[in-house]
Amino acid sequence: MTTTELPPTETVAREASSPPRERKFRLPFSPWHLVLIPMTFVLILPLLWMLVTSLETESETNRFPPVLLPERPRFENYTEAWAAAPFGHFFLNSAMVTVVVLISNLVVCSLAGYAFARIRFLGRGALFVTLMATLMVPFQVTMIPVFLIVKWFGDNVWEGLGIDHIGALMLPNLATAFGIFFLRQFFQTVPVELEEAARVDGTSRLGVLFKIVLPLSLPAMSTLAALTVLTSWNDFLWPLIVITSQDQMTIPLGLSYFQGAHRVKWPLLMAANVMSLLPMLLVFIGAQRYFVQSVASTGIKG
Amino acid sequence: MAEVEFRDVTRKYAGGTVALKGLNLTVGDGEFLILVGPSGCGKSTALRLLAGLDKPTTGEIRIGGAVVNGLAPGERDIAMVFQNYALYPHMTVYRNLAYGLRQRRTPRDEVERRVRETAALLEIDELLDRKPGQLSGGQRQRVAMGRALVRKPQAFLLDEPLSNLDAKLRNQVRGDLKRLHRELPVTSIYVTHDQVEAMTLGDRLCVMSRGEVQQIGTTDDIYNRPANTFVAAFMGSPPMNLLPGVVRDGTLHVGGAAITAAATPNGPVTVGARPEHLEVHTTVADGMVPARIDFVEPLGSHALVTAIVDDETRVIVHAPAGTQLDPGTRVGLALPPERTYYFDAVTGDAHRSRERITL
Amino acid sequence: MPSLLGRLSRTDTAAGWALASPAAVLIGIFGLLPVLMSLQLSFQQSDLLRPQTPWVGLANYRKLAEDPVFVEAIKHTIVYTALFVPGTMLVGLFVAAAMNRSVRFISVYRTAAYITMAVSTISQGIIFLWLTDRDYGLVNAGLNAVGISSQPFLASPSQALYVIVAMTIWGWTGFSVIVYLAALQGVPAELHEAAMIDGASAFTRFRTITVPLLGPANLFLLVWLTINALQLFDEVYATTRGGPLRATTVIVYYLWDRAFVHFDAGYAAAMAYALFVVILIITAVQFRLARKHVQN
Repeated sequence: MTTTELPPTETVAREASSPPRERKFRLPFSPWHLVLIPMTFVLILPLLWMLVTSLETESETNRFPPVLLPERPRFENYTEAWAAAPFGHFFLNSAMVTVVVLISNLVVCSLAGYAFARIRFLGRGALFVTLMATLMVPFQVTMIPVFLIVKWFGDNVWEGLGIDHIGALMLPNLATAFGIFFLRQFFQTVPVELEEAARVDGTSRLGVLFKIVLPLSLPAMSTLAALTVLTSWNDFLWPLIVITSQDQMTIPLGLSYFQGAHRVKWPLLMAANVMSLLPMLLVFIGAQRYFVQSVASTGIKG
Repeated sequence: MAEVEFRDVTRKYAGGTVALKGLNLTVGDGEFLILVGPSGCGKSTALRLLAGLDKPTTGEIRIGGAVVNGLAPGERDIAMVFQNYALYPHMTVYRNLAYGLRQRRTPRDEVERRVRETAALLEIDELLDRKPGQLSGGQRQRVAMGRALVRKPQAFLLDEPLSNLDAKLRNQVRGDLKRLHRELPVTSIYVTHDQVEAMTLGDRLCVMSRGEVQQIGTTDDIYNRPANTFVAAFMGSPPMNLLPGVVRDGTLHVGGAAITAAATPNGPVTVGARPEHLEVHTTVADGMVPARIDFVEPLGSHALVTAIVDDETRVIVHAPAGTQLDPGTRVGLALPPERTYYFDAVTGDAHRSRERITL
Repeated sequence: MPSLLGRLSRTDTAAGWALASPAAVLIGIFGLLPVLMSLQLSFQQSDLLRPQTPWVGLANYRKLAEDPVFVEAIKHTIVYTALFVPGTMLVGLFVAAAMNRSVRFISVYRTAAYITMAVSTISQGIIFLWLTDRDYGLVNAGLNAVGISSQPFLASPSQALYVIVAMTIWGWTGFSVIVYLAALQGVPAELHEAAMIDGASAFTRFRTITVPLLGPANLFLLVWLTINALQLFDEVYATTRGGPLRATTVIVYYLWDRAFVHFDAGYAAAMAYALFVVILIITAVQFRLARKHVQN
């Protein structure tokens, strides 16, 4: 091995001393933790406080300055809250509405999204623009007429679809223009050659969608699913307008009703709140990736 | 003094991977040194350590004689040209060039002068008001070079700056780089995996593999006196042929035939011979390596003959244009003794006795 | 190989409409038809119960212009939006900048930052009602500890709207952080390295390289947050029901109140349309301004 080495030169000292290893005071962990921990604490403080309160007794909550930790965690608050209002109904209703809306959206929006992405048909452009225009219209404009439409469905088609029934919560949300837009964008990124190869092999249009495109679209479908579940579960204004009977209420509405009935029973109210929040929080933490993806992709595309 | 020195520099990662093992290298003032090797050999790591974008696990790095280990990249007075150019997309070409100078509080009129001077040198003065997004690949590359040059740094670091250009542009810019370095001899450390670039551009080359230096020398050194089989096979296109051989009773045997008086002691040995030094003979005479033709590739100015020795080893030989040989033909390969390289069969190192042979 | 999806064939048209029609029908009934119905409704007097809906022309719109509650609602909505939008963006950027590094447990920190996105508006309202309770709330405890007297917060006409601003900023922080974090991570590391070598300090790099490249994210958040701010409802319902003394009555709350509490649907429809137009105008203006800014 040949190396050319010049004779050692004088070191022009730029710093006081430069030993091969630096001897700086270093924490065993990154200093950023000292910023991130307080920041995170402040961000989730409201949730933590809710949790703490849900385990206190009523007399403990009537103290000022507030009790920071209950003497004994009072889990009975939860059983009492559960008994005080039909939470079982609330959960079931929310779950049913969300599941139906989710499946419907995934199916209807993929069909339409695929048609707009890959099938050239007469009137495609006009239809797409018209549907997308609905994205610009705020809910308040449509909510009154939709109330009337849903009422009509309830009176003339099936009671379960009408006012004060959970069917009315599902009906207007079975398909969204956003879902179509989102899936169309994605389907356009699937290489056309894959679909063409399948069609040469004799697969039908629909077959191509189900056997080739959809399996490749799982990430996009999951992302749309996450967004749909979140929007549907936490929806409040529409259920407020349509539902008045307790046994048809979804969780947000049920919680609001509970709040009205037990306004100052804070521990009870907080326990109810925790129970209401928990499902969505768990889903969020578990499928976090898709929620993040859903926001990021809308944001980046604008 | 803008000499660059690596003293025993090592970079180990948390998982145990060693990207760089004890690099010892001195780049002279104004020298154009090329770090060349396949991906993963540690060349980019070495460059990033020099730039200050990464910290060595052990060892010292010196620029202009002073140790820079503790200094931030901005304090080392170096400039770098990135593989993907890394131009600031929201700034005009002018502001891209001026950025480094402005960070150093250079007075406005001097910034103006130096930017325009550099832009003229690289022929991008007409582009000063455009943004990177509006430029072609070649123009962006020149802006990246300009951004580095305008700072008049002690050392110039280049990380595969030509790899994103198409072949024709690459050749042209290679020539531009050589001319530029002649006019402005700044100490330059250039990283590439392309051995043609390395051989044509470098004053000296540092061939690396798997974190270790294989050989440092001029193109002539590397090509004609390779230090081991890796260097021999890596440099040159087509690469040097390496054949298994054995020395028995002082005679070298390759492919079963006795070839010539051996320059090394008895035992197994790896023999190297470059395609242009071998000759294909249709009559197999004494002292030739017997082989079978696999195929012939005509290249216009010459032909490349691929033959198989011992049913195992593939050998490529330069042959005159118009050579036609059928696959399967038995031929003899003539090995000129003064162009025959001996490498240790186990370590791959070149045998010391090579140095006695005059070329 | 030439594309098989060549001309507008009849089978293609049939297939396309077949696949698109479920969506078209649903959105047509629940998305497009209501827009027209709402317009019609705004020219009528309706109480949502009786089928008689007499035509009143522009009377509803005239009433809007003279309605003092509506004017107040507009004021409240504007104040709310002007505070909420920049507030959420700043907090989001600040948190995202802190979270844009790879230290240990960073995914835990990030999850905690995102999580407010999953909290329903009602839950938020309940939590903040309790946090800001005048007599037993945690916030007042904190204020007392530093020598400030207890505040009525949501019970005060002068403070309630601002508390809702703070509450909704908290609720939207998760969303804002996700957008900014994605944008920050979209800035190629090489740009930072080049700037480092050019001698820029961390803060200068943030200011001259990172922030300018956040343009698209800023525009998106500006538009999205504004649209949502103008439609504020849930959080008001969950806390103050538009009070105290109408201090937190925002446009959509008043709209809902008119339509489904007082059953003055025609008037509410007119209000909704007015809001719609305003949202369109503001969004268009924001886009135009942003495009000019990006052009530089």
